[in-house]
This record gives sequence, C-alpha cells and structure tokens, in this order.
Amino acid sequence: MIATLALVQDTFREALARKIFWGLFGLSTLMIVFFLFLLKIDIVEGALATVSLFGRSVNPRQNLDQLVIGAYAAIAAFLYTWGMFLAVFASAGLIPAVLEPGRIELLLSKPVSRTHILLGRYLGNVLVVGCNITYLVLGVWIILGLKTNIWRASFLASIASTLFIFSILLAVVVLMGVLFESAALATMVAVVLMIMSPILAQTSTAIKLLSSEWARQLWRGLYYVFPKIYDMGKMTIGLIRDGSAESWMPVWSSALFGIVILGAALALFQRRDF
Amino acid sequence: MPADEFAIQADNLSKIFRTRWSRREVRAVDGLSLQVRRGTTYGLLGANGAGKTTFVKMLLSAVHPTAGSAFLFGRPAALPEARRTIGYLPENHRFPTYLTGQSMLDFYAALSGMETSARRRRIPELLEQVGLKDWGDVRLGKYSKGMLQRVGLAQALMHYPTLLILDEPSDGVDPVGRRHIREILTALEEKGVTIFINSHLLVEVEAFCQEVAIIDKGKLALGGRVKDLIAGKGYRLTVALVPERLREALTEQAAAVSARNGVVDFQFASRELVNSAIDQLRSEQCEIESLLPTTSTLEDVFVRTVNK
Repeated sequence: MIATLALVQDTFREALARKIFWGLFGLSTLMIVFFLFLLKIDIVEGALATVSLFGRSVNPRQNLDQLVIGAYAAIAAFLYTWGMFLAVFASAGLIPAVLEPGRIELLLSKPVSRTHILLGRYLGNVLVVGCNITYLVLGVWIILGLKTNIWRASFLASIASTLFIFSILLAVVVLMGVLFESAALATMVAVVLMIMSPILAQTSTAIKLLSSEWARQLWRGLYYVFPKIYDMGKMTIGLIRDGSAESWMPVWSSALFGIVILGAALALFQRRDF
Repeated sequence: MPADEFAIQADNLSKIFRTRWSRREVRAVDGLSLQVRRGTTYGLLGANGAGKTTFVKMLLSAVHPTAGSAFLFGRPAALPEARRTIGYLPENHRFPTYLTGQSMLDFYAALSGMETSARRRRIPELLEQVGLKDWGDVRLGKYSKGMLQRVGLAQALMHYPTLLILDEPSDGVDPVGRRHIREILTALEEKGVTIFINSHLLVEVEAFCQEVAIIDKGKLALGGRVKDLIAGKGYRLTVALVPERLREALTEQAAAVSARNGVVDFQFASRELVNSAIDQLRSEQCEIESLLPTTSTLEDVFVRTVNK
C-alpha cells in the first residue's frame, strides 16, 4: 500500500512538473468560467425567458430542461473527442519516462514487483486525468444547477464513462510505451483508435456497401475487437438525455480490449531487460 | 542449495543479449559464479564492457539471466522480497529532476516499504550525513554531479540496508567528496553491512575492499582476497586439476591461493619456491596453465589478468 501510494504520488508530481495537470486544469477552468459568466440564463416563473451568450441575447427555442441537457451533451461530446485527445496527448510521456535508463533500474531494485510498478504508474495517470474530468463535470453540473435549479445526476455518469474510455486508451499507451518507449508513437496509435471508432461504428452501412463476405466479416471483427469510443460517447449522451442505454455491449467489449492490452503490456514489461 | 551466510551467491550465471532484428548474440556474462560472504567489502572489477553492470543488474532482477541462478541472502534474486534489505546506487542514474532531495529520498524509501514516520526521521539525518543538509528542499535539477552522487548514496542507505550494491559510487565526485563517501562506507562496514562495489577505480577498491573479483569478457578471470592478490612481488603459477594432496602441500608453501573455474592460482614469494612447485606438479603430470611474475598493486594484477 505504501509503495502504491508512492507510485501514484510520483505520477502526480511528474504531471504537475510537466505542466500536464495544470494544462488540463486550466482548460477545464476555462469551460467552467464559460458557463459561469458567459452563459446568462433568465428564468421567469420557472420557464426560460432569455438566454444570453457572450453578452448577446439569444431567443430560446427550447425549454430550460432541454437547454441544460444540451449543455451536458456538449460537454460529454467535448470530453469524448478533444478532451480524450488532450488527455492521451498529455499522458503519453508519463509511461516511457519511467523506463528511461538510469531510472528504471533503481525502481526495479526496490522490493516491488514489476506488475506493481507499472500498475501504480497506470493508476496514477488515470487519477491525474480523473481529477480533471471530475473537476470539469462537477463544476459545470454545479454551475448549471445553481443557475437553472435543474440537478440531473445522470450527467455525473459521464465522469465514470469518460474515465473508463481514457483508461482503455491509456492501456494502449502503456503497451506502446513498454514496446517502443516512444510517447509520440503511443499517442499516434491511441489517436488512430479514436479516429477509427466512429468509422467502424457505421457497421450496418458498411456491410451494405461491401461486396465480399470476407470484407464484411473483417469489418465486423474490427468493430467488435477495437474499443467503441464513439458508441460509448453516444451511450453517455443517451444516458444524460433519457437515462437509458440501448446496449451494454460497447462497455464490456471495450473493457475486454483494455484488459487484454494491459495484460499484454504487463507480460512484456515482465520479460524485458533494462 | 544457496546458503544465507552469503549476501550474494551467483551460480553459473549467464546472459546472452540478442539484437532485435539480426538475432546476433552478445554474451555479456558467461557462466559466472561467485560468492560474497555477509559483512565483507567486495569489489567487482573489469574493463568497460566486461559484463560488470549486467551482472549487477541480474542480481537486482533488472536483467533476466539466460542461464544460472542468483541469490541474495539465500533467496532467489528474482523475488521482490529478496531486495527488501538492499540499497542500490546505479551507474549513470537519472533521478527525476522534478523531485527535491527530500522528496526523492521519501519516494524511494516508500518503495522499500518504509513507514512515513520513519522516513521523516531518517531524511534529515541522512542529508546531514552526506553533506546536503541545506539542499533538501532544492530540486535535483539544480544539483551538481557530485551532489547527485551523494544524494544517490543517501537514497541507497535510507531503509538501513544490510547489502549495499554501488555501481561506480565515486563517479563525478571530487577528492574531498570521495573521502567523505569512503568514511560513510567504512562506518557501514563496521556495522556489518555487506558492501559490493562495482568500480574501475582500482586504487579505491584496493584501499577499501577485502575481496575482489575481476571479470573479463563475462567470465570470472580472478578472484580472492585483496591482500592475497597483491601479496608482494613474486610469481603467480596457474594450474589446472591439482590433486588434493599436492594442493595442500603447495598451499603451505604459497603466499596466497585462489581458485576459479577449475584452475588454481598459487602466489609464490621467490623463484626457488615456484621452481620447487613446478617440479612437484610436473612429477604428478599436472598441466601448468601459466607462470607470471607479480607486482604489488591491484592495478598490476588487473592489467595482467585482463591481458592474459
């Protein structure tokens, strides 16, 4: 337990020193400030009267509830696209850093297993990003709640859902880090997975368009194997909107992918010489 | 069966590195066996690329042996628990520069399983001991090479280790700092800590270590007590397969005796003694591997050994 805490604390220290934590924190603060000051909502007898954006009045076409849900969905969409990209980009260097010659030998000389070292670093990294996601989502939730008196707890599910997808992409980053010790390559692979996800998600359309059976099978195979970032994003927005999910397949299949990739990274780390 | 009377025990340890694409083999350590008794100061010597660092890394499980086994206080070195009482200072260390001296000591001691309160007590004590009392809250990025070496030594000592493995401990340290480090190590030796030094500074090893091993091309080339190896001018007679009775007789006449890989090195003080030994060996049909004149410094022994 002492060693795990030390590894997590060290990841936080490094994230702070590399300005990763502050970068993500600053961005989250910017978004919270946007909702705090730039989005003004006037409510008359519980109904939405005017919405003011950047000081200009916007004629509200939706009701107040829809506006809040829309804001939640926008935040969730941001987290699943740019937020995820920034988190991966910022974290990619944290894994190869511990594998540097002169640093890893000292870590390995301690009475801590290799699995423990890598998982400690992984956990620290997830928590660094988790703190920022929680700060952003909770901040927006509180501000919108105070401004509109609408408190939809379903929005908070996006903390867990975003962090879940990030932890899967981080497993890919860890594997690439252990294999190649390259932060740039790790980021590239993770981003490719993010880009592939919405394309692979168009399975029903693709299957109609593909002429050969093996191509259709390959498409289906890739879709089921790779993490379903796009589907998870859609699912989160669905949860925010009506509190229900069509299918939990994206969750368990993505989790399976993450477990396999992290397992492979751990196995390779065990076998490597430093 | 490994015995816990030895702090380090390596049995036929080998490491072959293979290049990723061509699969070319590099034999870094080749069937190395050595034993370091508890409480001794032991020096590992060898030219650059001789396999010293790979050997040390195998002891610490940073490198997996291709063959053979290593034990620390009788436990397989691969077990994390075997490393609990080990302090290690790597060569070319790269301590995280975002840490201060204090936080670095705290981090590595926590990984060794030391409780928070014990760490808090120990850190100022050690910083003072290595002469960095006023530098504890300064980031390591601001430290000089010598200061990093000293804080690195403090790191290795944090959890009261019973075995210290130091890879080039005085590298980059000025003469005053070196003396300081030697004083710290001498105090530890008096407390019974086993000290294993991997160094190319032969003068320091000769002054500090009780026993040494010289490795060459991954193999143990020579090993024994320093005072035996540098036992004055004379002759070193290397013989293979000496019958036990004759070996005992020659041991009585020799100034020092050491054994390695099936051959025995006899150190004789005079020409008469070595000639007599040769006569006895030849009468028993023993193979004489080599006969060399010896001088009195470890450097000479080292150069002679690696140039064989």
